[in-house]
Amino acid sequence: MLRLLKGTASAAALAFLVAGPLAAQGTLRLDEVPVGELDPALATDYADSLLMFNIYDTLVLPAQGAPGHVPHLATGWEIDGATFTFTLREGVTFHSGNPMTADDVVFSIERMQAMGQGLSFLLASVESVEAVDPLTVRVTLAEPYTPFIASLVRVPIVDKATVMANLGEGEGETGDWGQAYLSANSAGTGAYRVVSHNPQEETVMALNPAYFGEVADGAPAEVRLRYGLEPATVRAMIARGEHDISSQWLPPEVMVALADEGAQFFQESGTGAFYIKLNTQKPPLDDVNCRRALAAAFDYTTALAITQITPDVAGGIPSTGAVPVGMFGANPADMALAQDMEAAQAHLANCAHNPADHTLEISWIAEVAIEERFALLMQQNFSALGFNTEIVRVPWVLFTERVTSPETTPHISQVFVTATTGDPDTLLFPMYHSSAAGTWQSPEFLNDPEVDALLEAGRMAADDAGREAAYAALNARLMDLAPTIYGFDRNSVFAASTRVTAPAMTDPAAAFGLDGMGFAFRLMSVTE
Amino acid sequence: MPPLMRQILSRVGISLLVLWGASMLIFVIARVIPGDPARVALGPNATAEQVEALSQALHLDRPILIQYGFWLRDLVQGDLGRSLYTNRPVTQDIAEFLPATLELVFVAALLMVALGMPLGILAARYRGRWPDHLIRVLSLLTVSAPAFVWAVVLMLLFAYFLPIFPIAGRLSEEFAIPRVTGFLTIDSLLAGDLAAFADALHHIILPAVALSLSGIGQAARLTRANMIETYDKPYIEMAQAYGFPESRISRTYAFRPSLIPSLTIIGLDIAALLGNAFLVEAVFGWPGLSRYGVQVILRKDLNAIVGTVLVIAAMFLIVNIIVDILTVLLNPKIRHAEKRG
Repeated sequence: MLRLLKGTASAAALAFLVAGPLAAQGTLRLDEVPVGELDPALATDYADSLLMFNIYDTLVLPAQGAPGHVPHLATGWEIDGATFTFTLREGVTFHSGNPMTADDVVFSIERMQAMGQGLSFLLASVESVEAVDPLTVRVTLAEPYTPFIASLVRVPIVDKATVMANLGEGEGETGDWGQAYLSANSAGTGAYRVVSHNPQEETVMALNPAYFGEVADGAPAEVRLRYGLEPATVRAMIARGEHDISSQWLPPEVMVALADEGAQFFQESGTGAFYIKLNTQKPPLDDVNCRRALAAAFDYTTALAITQITPDVAGGIPSTGAVPVGMFGANPADMALAQDMEAAQAHLANCAHNPADHTLEISWIAEVAIEERFALLMQQNFSALGFNTEIVRVPWVLFTERVTSPETTPHISQVFVTATTGDPDTLLFPMYHSSAAGTWQSPEFLNDPEVDALLEAGRMAADDAGREAAYAALNARLMDLAPTIYGFDRNSVFAASTRVTAPAMTDPAAAFGLDGMGFAFRLMSVTE
Repeated sequence: MPPLMRQILSRVGISLLVLWGASMLIFVIARVIPGDPARVALGPNATAEQVEALSQALHLDRPILIQYGFWLRDLVQGDLGRSLYTNRPVTQDIAEFLPATLELVFVAALLMVALGMPLGILAARYRGRWPDHLIRVLSLLTVSAPAFVWAVVLMLLFAYFLPIFPIAGRLSEEFAIPRVTGFLTIDSLLAGDLAAFADALHHIILPAVALSLSGIGQAARLTRANMIETYDKPYIEMAQAYGFPESRISRTYAFRPSLIPSLTIIGLDIAALLGNAFLVEAVFGWPGLSRYGVQVILRKDLNAIVGTVLVIAAMFLIVNIIVDILTVLLNPKIRHAEKRG
């Protein structure tokens, strides 16, 4: 099968037309939890993503306000079965001044694979990568994998010459693959370059005047990404005009206080959800009817109210099923899940276990304070069905270890899960495929051949219609099996001063549909 | 060899043994508490193969005694290993974060001694009168609330409602001081930038006060109690009967003897500031070693935990040695006993 994706080029062309001369100004200050990892091959969490999306570029970008991807460092690509051929943009230079070529793309992919850390699992299916000519790269996968293009949004291109000139100690001619150097310096083509980096204090970035892509009028000339500020400190700093955007981890009460003082809110949604995981291998939750009873008894409305910040803004959006609204296979937004105690009692009547004989261990992650409130809500909801419950606070370090076996995994675990690449495959496969059981994402230990088959169909389907059908069927199956209570779709909220404009986080038509991508600083603007 | 030097060498020797014991203890404790450091370090999306590979690279798949052997071998070469939290050598992290904490602790200790002891002297001097009552109430107030409560209260009062001091950080954005010692007050002076020096002092005042407040109260109470005890001694009564000036009695005959017992406790309090600094550093966005220490514990970053604990233990031991020396210098009985010995 040969498909030529030309349409996407028009979006990029439009971006270039609107890109004018740089009119950067001012400093943007924001914060995240530590530590900010600069090396894009080690990037995993939110702070790392913010750094990666601004210092480095990728071959493609998620389309704004629409599904699919648009060219970025690549101007287009051809797909022939499991072979992807990319044509690179001409005239792009790294921060060092070196031109970006196919060799850099090959090196970046091989570097991530060789280091085997961060999000390198996204490249597990890559069999080979070669530079056909200076502006053409061919990637061959071991088998067809439709979400591969989506995976590329997390594969940043690094400057091979700069990295090779700064290798640290290690085996072979690639030494440490430049880890030590890239953990303190930038070697990308991104709109921002690193000025200074203290992993516990802040990373200072300056706008790259030679950036090839769109830069908004009034884009910040300097960005200070601060780490590990306390909520009280952030609140005081925003109120005094010394800080611009909070992290999403501020307690709702602090968000409310900031709103009262005139702060605005930026939001990111559609890429993940709050999932209440049920251990399907442990009685009484090994019986599907007991699981269905819990799912029906859960008070979805109150759970959302817990995340409410203002009447219009909450940390969640009503859930309609296993797939967040906006992704392939999601149910319509008006099919919100709701508590139904009658249905819960009916399911319970069919359960082989007597609830009074069991004590459900409801765990919450010690570092995520809001989960304690959800645990208390569940205790109330499930006690009404006759279950005994015990609330257990589990530090993340311990949680990741406990979930490696069904015996030590709590009956009920709470996690926020996000699609790493924005594609449903990176959200659902790690949670529900039987081969992926026993991680923090999959403490359900679900083992259902039909679910496995649908997940595989979703990643193999050649077109959007095929993927939509596969994920819709998967959604229905997962609703029926109830391995999880689908609490609410995630809506990340950030408090911000009114001197900042960020269309990608306030206008759904400009949203990227990828966690952290809304923080493309070049598309923001600040007023003095 | 002079007796004092002999005592210092003996203390240093004992301290090295204590450090070795502490290293073994913390090495074992860090490893037996639940949680897989490799899994935490690699992040939530790591595969089982990635976790296993990192575990092997860190020797976590080997018996604990072998792991300790590897660690000792590297330590001899000045290598404390790599932090999984910052992905940098632990020695580099300590070199970067320790000066910030030491600078903060030093200023806090200075405030403790410079304010706490005179307040104690004043209270003892005016025992039972209003200055004594006032100082006792204030001391009790400062001692009764932990440093992080003071940090939040002071920040809200003097940085938010009354914007006199900066809210967070060590230096304003407009200053860029070349790093020499890591102590911004010193580096700014070395750079000849007095404006930056003033700015660094401006930034350190609030966190240092927050950190030192309970110590100031403690020092005042301790000094007062010891001085009152000394005031009851017959030789003070005799000095008073001879008509010596009260200031001389207070300074020379009452304060000095009462300083010796206070010194040991105040010394330990100063060393304890290193640990207490964590929440103050968190509130004021101070990039110090205490905050780093807590972060690495939460992430079970084994090398960084051991490195940080060893540095803090070494600081405790150094302060203890200094206190011992000062005690010898201040106490003629010990000094003469040393000479006779």
